[in-house]
Amino acid sequence: MSGPTGTNGRKLASLRELPQAIEPAHDLWPGIESRLAALPPEASAAQGAKPAYRRALRLRWLAAAAMVACVAVGVWIGRSLLPGGPVGGAPPIAASRPAAIGLGPTAFDAAYVSDPRYERQRRALVRALQERLAALPPPARAKVSASLAAVEKAKKDLEQALGQDPGNALLQELLINTYQDEMRVLTDVHEASDSGREI
Amino acid sequence: MRIALPLTVALLPLLAGTTATASSDKTFDRQVPAQPRGVVEISNVTGSIEVSGWERNEVSVHAELDAGVERVDVSSDGGRTTIKVVLPHASSQGGEARLQVKIPKASELNVSAVNADVICNGVLGVQRLSAVSGNITAELGGADVELKTVSGDLRLKGHGLPARVHLSTVSGNVQLEHGGGDLEASTVNGSLVLSLDDARSVRARTTAGDVRLQGKLARNATLEASTVSGDMNVRASAEGGYAYEVSSFSGDITDCFNASPERLSKYGPGSRLEGTRGEGAGHLRLKTMSGDVQLCDRP
Repeated sequence: MSGPTGTNGRKLASLRELPQAIEPAHDLWPGIESRLAALPPEASAAQGAKPAYRRALRLRWLAAAAMVACVAVGVWIGRSLLPGGPVGGAPPIAASRPAAIGLGPTAFDAAYVSDPRYERQRRALVRALQERLAALPPPARAKVSASLAAVEKAKKDLEQALGQDPGNALLQELLINTYQDEMRVLTDVHEASDSGREI
Repeated sequence: MRIALPLTVALLPLLAGTTATASSDKTFDRQVPAQPRGVVEISNVTGSIEVSGWERNEVSVHAELDAGVERVDVSSDGGRTTIKVVLPHASSQGGEARLQVKIPKASELNVSAVNADVICNGVLGVQRLSAVSGNITAELGGADVELKTVSGDLRLKGHGLPARVHLSTVSGNVQLEHGGGDLEASTVNGSLVLSLDDARSVRARTTAGDVRLQGKLARNATLEASTVSGDMNVRASAEGGYAYEVSSFSGDITDCFNASPERLSKYGPGSRLEGTRGEGAGHLRLKTMSGDVQLCDRP
């Protein structure tokens, strides 16, 4: 296998040895000019315009198709990965949600909380929440309600942020933490009113 | 004038006695023998519970009781002593009972209160103290401690002795001084202020409350803290240093290492700060959605 050679036939040791520019053997422009002049004026205009126009039209169609495909994929992701709506068939937990404190299901409930035992237990705790809260001393009730509102707000904020960035592992982890915190609050309130009765 | 002054002096004790009667309708005192490492269980609905450890092998109970309190039951069976404030008809809206209890200092202590503050000092055994809406103040004696409230504040004073500590409240604030060993603390919207003294593992979590961790970690320690919207200020050093990883979705991350957080996306929010201090023996992870994070390995 022979290496590259220079213009004078000697072997090149480096790319730097190649010439920076090579002039054509003769001036090409007079030939091009004469051929252009021989063409009829409309033909030359059409030949120049048509490919560009067709190319632009084809690109527009491609862009429109890509947009439609993106919307379709987005809708599919929205329906299959965020099954909180009627399509997901999530149980209507909202029916049991207390009016004062919004602890209803959201789009991400089913996505992150799929254990039926968990859902059953949570539903039962939410159903009994108002009664349990009423058993607490009024200052404690106000504080706990504020905490539950804080949990609810955190869930909504996280879900909103996940809407912008669905694959964000940090947000997913924080959302799961918040669900756990919500469960802890519900359990603690439940146990607290029990302890009042037992004592 | 000559008569008025001696009369006032003579009436003062009577006046003081009347005030004392108004604040507590009756008192209760009882002492029972107890084992040095036995279990003591105390429950009260409203009022306060003050427990202190002493050298004697007996449990002493002094109580000031409002009219709404029926009685105080004290029983001792084997190694277990039980002190229970009883309200009429199992009512939870009865009067206050203010308990002062002395127990053998190595006892295991379980306290359960509803709307009563709990204060505990000088107990070296395992402590499990819970209240619904009362505050809990306790001292770490080297054994494991679990403090739990719903809406009250928690305050625990340690001496750097290793122990397993679990602090949990829904709406209250948590404060720990000189916590060593394995620490776990959580609150929803209260603040977490933990001073660390050779802590081996620390887990701190809030939903909307601020987190402040300060002090010294043991070698190879792990520290994990997360909050959704609270701010975090961590000033922790460790023998052997630590590898750190700080993530925030929309909050600011600052440090005293002259390290710059890396943006996770060119267009969207999210930043992460990663690096190593010293040998990187320990591990520190801080996570937040919208809170700001400050990290430093100097006090």
